[in-house]
Parts: sequence; structure tokens; C-alpha cells
Amino acid sequence: MAEVHDRPPEQFTLKLRRYDPESGGAPYWDEHTIELEPHRSVLEAILQARDRFDGSIGIRCSCRQAICGSCGIRVNGEPALACHTHLDAAKLSAENGVIEIEPMGNMPVIKDLIVDMDAVHWKKIQRVTPWLLAKQPVPEREYLVSKEAMVDVTQTMACIQCGACVSDCLAMEVDPGFIGPAALAKAYRFVGDPRDDEQFERLNDLAQDPQGIFDCTHCFKCVQACPKDVNPMGQIMRLRRIAIGDHHIVDQNNGERHEAAVTGLIRNYGLLHEAEMIPRSYGGNSWFAKFTPAAGKELLSSLPVIIKGVLRGKMNPKIAIFGHKIPSADLKAVQAIYDKIESRPERYELNLYIAGEDEETAPVAAAVAAGTSADGGETPDAGETPNAPTSPEGSANQ
Amino acid sequence: MKVAYWPGCVSRGFTPELHGSMAKVAPLLDIELVELDRACCTGAGVIAEHNQELADTLNARTFALAQQVDGAELMMNICSTCQGAQSECQERLDANAEYRAHVNTTLAAEGLTYETGLTNKNFLWLLVEEIGLESLAARVKRPLTNLKVGPFYGCYIVRPRERLGIDAEHPRDHYLDQVIDALGGTVIEYAGMRKCCGFPIITMNKEASLKQAGRHLGDAADADADCLVTPCPLCHLNLDLQQPLAAGVVGRELNMPVLHLPQLVGLALGLDPKELGLGRHVVKPTSVIDWSTSVVAAAA
Amino acid sequence: MPAHDVLIIGAGLAGQRAALAAAEKGASVAIMSKVHPVRSHSVAAAGGINAAISVDDDWHSHAYDTVKGSDFLGDQDAIEVMCSEAPAEVMDLEHMGVTFHRNDKGEMDLRAFGGASMKRTAYVADITGQALLHVLYEQLLKHHETVARYEEWFTTSLLRDDAGNCCGAIARDVRSGQMEAFTAKNVILACGGAGQAYKPTTNGLIVTGDGIAMAYRAGAPLMDMEMVQYHPTCLVETGILITEGARGEGAHLLNANGERFMEKSAPNKMELASRDVVSRAEQIEINEGRGVGPNGAGIYLDITVVPRKRTLEALREIVNLGKDFAGVDITREPITIRPGQHYIMGGVKTDVDGRTPIDGLYAAGEVACVSVHGGNRLGANSLLDTLIFGRRSGEHAAARAASMGMPSVDANAQLLEDAARIDSIIARPREGRRVSEIKNELGETMNRSAAVFRDEAGLQAALETIARLREEADNAWIDDRGTVFNQDVLGAIELGYMVDCAETTVVAALERKESRGAQFRTDFPERNDGEWLKHIDITLGGDGAAGGPQVSYSPVTITQWEPEERKY
Repeated sequence: MAEVHDRPPEQFTLKLRRYDPESGGAPYWDEHTIELEPHRSVLEAILQARDRFDGSIGIRCSCRQAICGSCGIRVNGEPALACHTHLDAAKLSAENGVIEIEPMGNMPVIKDLIVDMDAVHWKKIQRVTPWLLAKQPVPEREYLVSKEAMVDVTQTMACIQCGACVSDCLAMEVDPGFIGPAALAKAYRFVGDPRDDEQFERLNDLAQDPQGIFDCTHCFKCVQACPKDVNPMGQIMRLRRIAIGDHHIVDQNNGERHEAAVTGLIRNYGLLHEAEMIPRSYGGNSWFAKFTPAAGKELLSSLPVIIKGVLRGKMNPKIAIFGHKIPSADLKAVQAIYDKIESRPERYELNLYIAGEDEETAPVAAAVAAGTSADGGETPDAGETPNAPTSPEGSANQ
Repeated sequence: MKVAYWPGCVSRGFTPELHGSMAKVAPLLDIELVELDRACCTGAGVIAEHNQELADTLNARTFALAQQVDGAELMMNICSTCQGAQSECQERLDANAEYRAHVNTTLAAEGLTYETGLTNKNFLWLLVEEIGLESLAARVKRPLTNLKVGPFYGCYIVRPRERLGIDAEHPRDHYLDQVIDALGGTVIEYAGMRKCCGFPIITMNKEASLKQAGRHLGDAADADADCLVTPCPLCHLNLDLQQPLAAGVVGRELNMPVLHLPQLVGLALGLDPKELGLGRHVVKPTSVIDWSTSVVAAAA
Repeated sequence: MPAHDVLIIGAGLAGQRAALAAAEKGASVAIMSKVHPVRSHSVAAAGGINAAISVDDDWHSHAYDTVKGSDFLGDQDAIEVMCSEAPAEVMDLEHMGVTFHRNDKGEMDLRAFGGASMKRTAYVADITGQALLHVLYEQLLKHHETVARYEEWFTTSLLRDDAGNCCGAIARDVRSGQMEAFTAKNVILACGGAGQAYKPTTNGLIVTGDGIAMAYRAGAPLMDMEMVQYHPTCLVETGILITEGARGEGAHLLNANGERFMEKSAPNKMELASRDVVSRAEQIEINEGRGVGPNGAGIYLDITVVPRKRTLEALREIVNLGKDFAGVDITREPITIRPGQHYIMGGVKTDVDGRTPIDGLYAAGEVACVSVHGGNRLGANSLLDTLIFGRRSGEHAAARAASMGMPSVDANAQLLEDAARIDSIIARPREGRRVSEIKNELGETMNRSAAVFRDEAGLQAALETIARLREEADNAWIDDRGTVFNQDVLGAIELGYMVDCAETTVVAALERKESRGAQFRTDFPERNDGEWLKHIDITLGGDGAAGGPQVSYSPVTITQWEPEERKY
């Protein structure tokens, strides 16, 4: 049977975080119990509460289908779109079965669940020059660009600017000036577009900015939060990769040095050599890095910790100085892998968003045509697989 | 059970007490550790940032080596970052046969092949899913009574959920709570439990990095935790080794000891603080917790 | 008091395109929207945009398809303008940065769509509307010095000077509650359609007919209001749209017997016949007991026949919609859909430059009726409509502005009046009904009586209900007594707009005693060119006996294509 939503309506209790800026009072919790089928959305529940009990509940919403990006909120402490969150799932992850609904984080609250996105989200979007700087001359017809390139930037084009990633960005929490996941994903939308003329300038700008691409704390919060699989952190890593790998940008934030240090040390030792990693991240990827002023300053400030660590036997001086390696035959094999892959003229990158996952089972449409209901997910016998039909006007597929 | 054991780099570098305590705890749990000493660093996400194929190939090599360990039921790591970095590579390798074949041509030089179907679990997951909380509780000789423990998971083992197999049947992002509970301790919840320790940006934005560590340690202190426990040595570096500096950045005293997961388990299983390497920490647990009162003395 | 050459109300595709066009012609521009521009419902448009850009194509073919799709009610001069200018417009958009999908040669790829005689729909996966809207907004950010944006400002009424010209609007800053009068030499309405007058609808909650109603109340005529499009493939429960792009990629429609029933009514185009033909065919299957799903109220849309990889690449959004909102993996099993309200072909009557009969008042996009869609809109023509006529009205308004001085109007009285009206709504006693209840009843009434199949009795009953709902709406009470972000009071104002739109739709449907395009009267099932090849116009009469909707007619402009029997 196609539809699996056949459970009857149930009661759900919502705990809404309210804030009335005109009352002079502090934010407070407001509980409402509504009745809906379990597969319906948290947004529908909030709107039912609004329609039936309290029309003053403030929430931005419009499309109800996760495309307009209006209804970003926090459900049980995690950022989400209200229209995109099912009630049964929300109840499951709730404490005591009461669904907690709050406004998004990292942005000032205007009223109830409505936050000031201009102050944070849109300001950061504007920071990355969010329009195409088109290559000249502009052709008469369309720019000729590869299919793959357009599918690739469709991933970041699909961002609906909902702010869920910004809401819970942990780097932004401690460093509010961090440009952030939404804006940096937007930056990739241009860096990855072959028609844009300023790839280097964009990357250099965002790499040199202390609150740019190297300020991301790599915590996956934005990847988890995004309702459209934009993978903001993945885009930030791509920006780093292209900046360093293709444009050889050496930023003032130690980003390139750190990447080179870690990658290089693993090549030389097979393992991470922590003691070398720090000075090389500051002074450049060489043994002499530790004698540079930048590294020296850093080592000096870490001296108390280093001393304590050595005295307690946490840091073994021999390992600290000479590092530890994997067996030499294996190290050679590792280095051969490095050589082979790093010598390719172009990086070989698999993006599952584009390539997709392998096909596993054939569709069950044949069962429908036969008039029986099919269980979603079951593999039909090979003999039942329908032939590929012709669609109007021949094949619709290239 | 026998496991192909990837100890990671840092446990053999700056957190030797982790490697040592795991070695001591394993036999008490009937785990035979077969160390993958031929394997290399997972890249900790940084090699993947530099070149995805390189990270995927180096980890495919590790997976292939693990698959060669005779009689091993699965592969085990003792580091959230290793888990996350390897899971990301494994996701790509498992999803696309063409890509996997491509990576295997590189491994062929060593006569290695990676095949799908490898199970790779962090020690935390193994405790709950392979050994079981009941069996774990039954082995406890010294219940951690009166010990208030704040779990610190480490980003790489809790996000993204789908990639890490976290779902209703496997609430892996609550396992640390459950283990503390099974060992007799009191779980302290605090804001920073599943947040970021800041390690990835320690060289790029030291202040933001230590501010994160400092805040989470402070949150735990405000929630009255006696100590934190973490399954990630990189988190441990930022939370313990860097604690004095972190305290300076957030402008408050912290004095919050951070235990490695095998150390906490080891204490409950009756091992001695000293033999678990607790004396090596920068914030010495023994200077903050009086283990003789905090933790009930070993049963006869 | 802000004063601009061109004030645009509504920041969807038509509004944003008008803003860019006017700014490029050197006008001072303000664009106002009750929501952030990227929340406009254009963002939900999915399948693509039509243009005869292929070297094998000819805009005349596109125009003919559009005329036929309109069931010959479309004005052919306007259709010629739209179709002939389409290729250049689409190229302009590509140059601005729209991430159109490509073929193997790197050129823009084209997909099949309903009612089209060849593939001419350019697309971005199935998020074409979003891609277009966001790229236009990128351009507005770029032109921030020449286009002033008033985001989250709600327009309450239009300003007229003594000569009757439109010279601005009164609006409320939703955030602060502050009211402001905006003077402008020209006003372009781009507020979209009125789908929320129906329940269910594919339209977002913000689509409440604001522009149609404001123009109507200002005395501008509405045209073709009876022509309301039901989209063939909407999720049964929520009305959420499943793009025609699925059928463009080859998906089939099946009844409970597993039959591709479109064979009966459209043997050539099958699932890609015009939307009204498909919706009616589906409704007949449902009404005659061959429907599927709960209560047999749906039809199967079978996308499993499209290769899975193609679906994941080109229909990714509906893969997600199927999973998230219907619990179905569309690559593995059919999804249950049914016809749902989607678009209104009718709207504020304009010429090909977006002008209404009121000087200084323009309209473009779904709010307008030029008419390029006549009795039925082809899929992927709406995105085109918004951009062509958005641009043209922006350019025309800019040119008009260049030749005149800023109007002087004392807006204070009207500003106070609008503020007082809002205060009085807020102060209403708690007797009578809530706004949401009235809205629900309105939507259900329209979906029952002014849907795919209509008749005299049903329409008359609807008219009476609407009259009662209008009275109730005038007394409906709200909860929010505040000033900051008071969405409650705006909902009460929007309800009034929806009632106006609903009333004019029903009046026009009653008037047209024939079936044409989206209007199907079971009591007048045949098309009757002899008597009804004309537009139905509705103008708001003054007070007294001549008040309320006044019906008149206007001719259909025919240039090249004489009306013929419409077969798919």
C-alpha cells in the first residue's frame, strides 16, 4: 500500500517558548495539548494551538513543505524546520513526552519563535558577495558548462536560507563573528560555479579572514541540522581544499599550515606526531618550524603545560622529539599511496549527493499493475520487473 | 571476543594512559585485542579535508588489514574522532562499487582489498552492544557510588546521526550516560555534553577553541560534576592538557578532571587509579576526587 | 515619508524582476513584501520554465500550445509577446547565474511538460522556482543601492490622488507595528494568487489574494476570476504539490485497476495533456469509484517507471516530499495524489505592459490577468509569465516615472484610517467566530462548489455562504492585542482579502454558462464559442444598489489562431 500514514489522531503536548517584547517580562513556557495524526508536522500542531487556543503565538511559516525556509525553530533542543518534523518523532526524542519548542539560537529573539535573521544570518550572507561575478565576455546564448558542475552547485543552490545551521553553529556560539555555515555554503555556490570569474579572490578573502573558512570547528552540527542536505561543513572543507590545493593560498590563520603539517606528518610517520604538529601549524611544514617566531611564541606560551606533561609522564620526551612510526614496510606502502594519489593531475572526488548510492532492489510497480498491494521495500522476483516504458515524445532521459 | 583493534595515534602519543588503561581493561571484559600496528592514522578529518581519495584509501587499507585478522568479530577503536573519520570514509566506500573498485586498485599494490560488510565500533558502542550493560554491571567490583560523572561524547561520534547508525534501536548518543549508570555512577547532564571541545581549531583560532573547552568544563562544574568522561583522546587533549589555558580564556577556575572511558570502566572493574594512569593527567583526578570515599571500596 | 519612482508590492519572481528592470532603467525603486522575499511562494514552483530556446524550436509553436492550452480564452497578442520574448529572458537569467541543468554538450537541458508539442522546459532539478527566486534576490542584494527593500512590511491600502491615479500605498512594518505612507509615481502589484481561499491548496499560507483584493477595492477590474486551476498531482492529505516534472520525466497515472486512464481523454499526450484535462479525468475516475487510497479519493502517480538514478538527480525534491510528507519512496512505489487547487488564471486585468485602467497602477505575475493563460495555464508558463511581465511592467513604470513629477498627496488621513481599522480589529469583543474557523469554512466551501466540477446550485449556495462569511469576518475576533509582530491582526485583514477573491470567483463562475478550460459546468458541459468567447470582468460597484461585484465583458484578442476543438 502506498501510504503508511494510517494511524488515528493522538494527543500531543507542546511546550512553547514564548516571549512578549512589549510586556517587559522574561521569556516563559506555554503548554498546549493538541490532537493530530502522529505523522503530521510540528508546524501543524503549533498552528492548531494558534488557531484554537491562542492566536498570538508568533511563528513564521508559509509553504508547509520545507521549501520556503520560514519555520526554522528548535525542537527538543535541536534545530529543525517545524513543517519538516513529524510529531511522533518529536515526541520520541522529548523528555517526558512533552515536545519542547523554542526559537532558533545564535540570533536575537523578536517575539515567541520569531528571530531577527537580518542581524545575523543575512548579514553573513551579504559578507560573501552572494551574486555571480560572471566571466566576460557574456556569451550570446547560455554559458556552456558541464552537467556535473551544475548538479554539483545545485546542492548549495538548494539551500532555503532557513537558518537551522546558523542556529546551532558551535563555532558561532563562542565566536559570533564567524561567517558561518549558511554563508560559506553560499560562497561555495559561486566558487563551484564555472561561470564565476573570481574563484581565487573569493577563496583568498574567506581564507585570510580570521572568522572565515578556518574558523569552523568541524563539529557536524550544521550537517545534522540542514533539512536540504546542503552539507554546509562539507562545503567549507571543499572551500579549504580548493583554496589550498588549487590556489596554494597560505592563510594567516594557520589553516593551510595545519593541514600541511598533519598531512605531511602522517606521510612521514604513518601516525600523528603531536609535538611536531603544533610548531609546524604556526611556522610552516618543516622541522625548522619550531625556530620561527610564530611557533616559538606558541611553544613558549605552552611551556607550563609541556613541563607538567613531561613531569607527569604524559608526554614522553623521546616520542615528543622523535615521534613514533608504523613499521617501515607499512610506512613505505602508505607513502606509495600518498605519491600515487597526490600526483594525479586532478583530485578524484566522490560526492554522494551527485553520484548517489548503488541501486539495490528493483521497483515494485508491477505489483500495482497486477492489482495487489505491495509492501514497500520488498524485492520482487526478477521476472516481475517491468520493462522500461517509453514516455511521450520518446525517451525523457538523456 | 576477539577484535581487530585500532588504537589510534594519540593514545600512543600524548595520552599513553588511554592506551595503557584499555590494555588493562580488555581482559576483564573478555576482549582479546589484536592491535592493527600496520595501520596508519585515520587522518582525523584533516586528510579528508586535503584530499578525500587519500583519506578513503588510507582507511580502506586499515579496513582491509582488519578484515585479515583471523577470527576477529569486528574492528574496534578507542577514539571518537577515529570513529567519525573512518565512518565517513566507509560510507563513501560502501555506497559506490565503482569508487570502491577504484580505491582497491591502489591497495592492490600491497595485495590488500577492502570488501563491504566491515563493522567498526568505538569501545563505547562495543560495551553496550556487544558486552551489554547487564553483563557490564555484573562485572563491577567497585561501584562508582557517589561519583558524579559528566559525559563528554565528542562531535565525531554523535553527528551526523544517520552515518553513525544512531537511531531508536541504537541510541548511541546516550550510551555514555547508560554506561556511567551501569557502573553505578550518577550521570550529570550539562549543556556541553555533546558539543565541541574545540580541538579542530586549536591552531587556527586558539581563543575560540579554548573558549569551547572552558565553557563546557565550566557548565559541568556548575552542574556539580566531579569529573568528565570522554571516549575521545583529542577531546581529552583540549579538555585536560589545555585546561589551565582554557581556564584563563573563560576567566574561572575549573579543576575538572577528565577521565578516558577505559579508565572509568577500569575503576569500576576494580583496577587501581595509579595503574590506570590517572596520575598522568594535567588535572589529576586524584587531586580533586578522594577515590577512597567517592567510590565504594572494592567488594571482597 | 518614503517616495520612489516605482513601488513594488510583493517580492516573488514578478516583483523582484520588476524591481531589477526598473532599477536598470534608472528609476528609484522600492520593493515591499509582507514576508522576506525568498519566502514568497514562487519558491515552491518546481518543474521548470518554458522557452523556445532550442534551435529546432519556434516560439510560434510555444504560442500556439499556450493558446490551445488556454482553451482559446487567452489573448493572443499577449501570448505572442510572452513566447517571443521568452528565449532572451531565459538567457538573461542564465547569465545572472541561474543553475540550469545541462545536457551532455553543456547547453541548457530541456524537459517535456504538459501541453507542449516539444520539449521546451528549462529546469533546475525540481527546484526551478527556488533557483530563479534566489538568484533574483542575489541580484537585489547586488543592487542594494538602487533598490530599497522593505522586508516584512504589510500593505493595507493603495493611495490615490484627486485625479484617481495610484500614487503609493499605506503599509505596516510588521516588526514594530509602525504604519507608514509610501508615495510613488507608480505602484506595481505583484502579490501573487489567492489559493488560501481554498482548502486544501498547494499554495503557502501567505497566498491570500492581497493584491487582487486591493486592486478590486481601488476600483480596478478583475478578469477571468472563474478560471481556477486544479493541479492534477497533489498529496491527498496536505495538498502539497508533486511537480508535473514527474510526468515530464515519464511517470504514469493509474486508477485502481492499474490502468493508464488518460488514454480515454487524451490518447496523444496522455499524462502530459493540459492540467484541466488531466484533473477532470482523475476526478471522473475518483467519482466513478476507480480511485485509490483512503476512501478511494486518490489516484496513483507511478514514478517507478523513471530510472531511479534520473529520479534522484532530476526529481530529488519530490523524493524528499514523498518520504517526508507521505511516507513513500517514490522510486519504489506509486504515490497517491489527487487534484488540488493550485493557481488562479484570473486576476487584475492588465495590458501587455502590466497597466491596469487606473493610471499608475500596474500588476504582474499571478496577481494579474493579461491574459496569457486564458482558461487554463500550461505548466512552466507561470514562471515565464512572472518574469516577462514583471520585466515589462518594471520598464514601463520606470519610463512613465521619468516623464512625471512625484505626486503630491496628503496620505495622512488614509494612514490614520488604516491604523484605526487595525486597532478596531484588535479591540473586537470575543463574540462571534475566530478568524481560523471562518477561513476553514471558506476554504471547504470553495473546494466543494468552485472546484473541478461546478453547477448552478452549488455555486449559488457558495455565494450565500460567502455572504454570511463576509459578515462573520467583519466581526471575527483575534487574540493578539500587541503591536510587535502581530500576525493575528494581519490574518484578519487577509481573511477579508480572501472573501473578496472567493466572491468574485463564484460570481464569474455563475456568469459563465459554459465549460471552457478549468471551468467545467456540469449543467453547461460544452464549450460555446458563439456566446462565450469573451472575458468576464468584475468591477467593484459603489455603495447602494449598484454595490458589490458588477459583471461586464471584454473581447478576447485573436491574432493568428482561430478557436478550434481542443484535443490532446
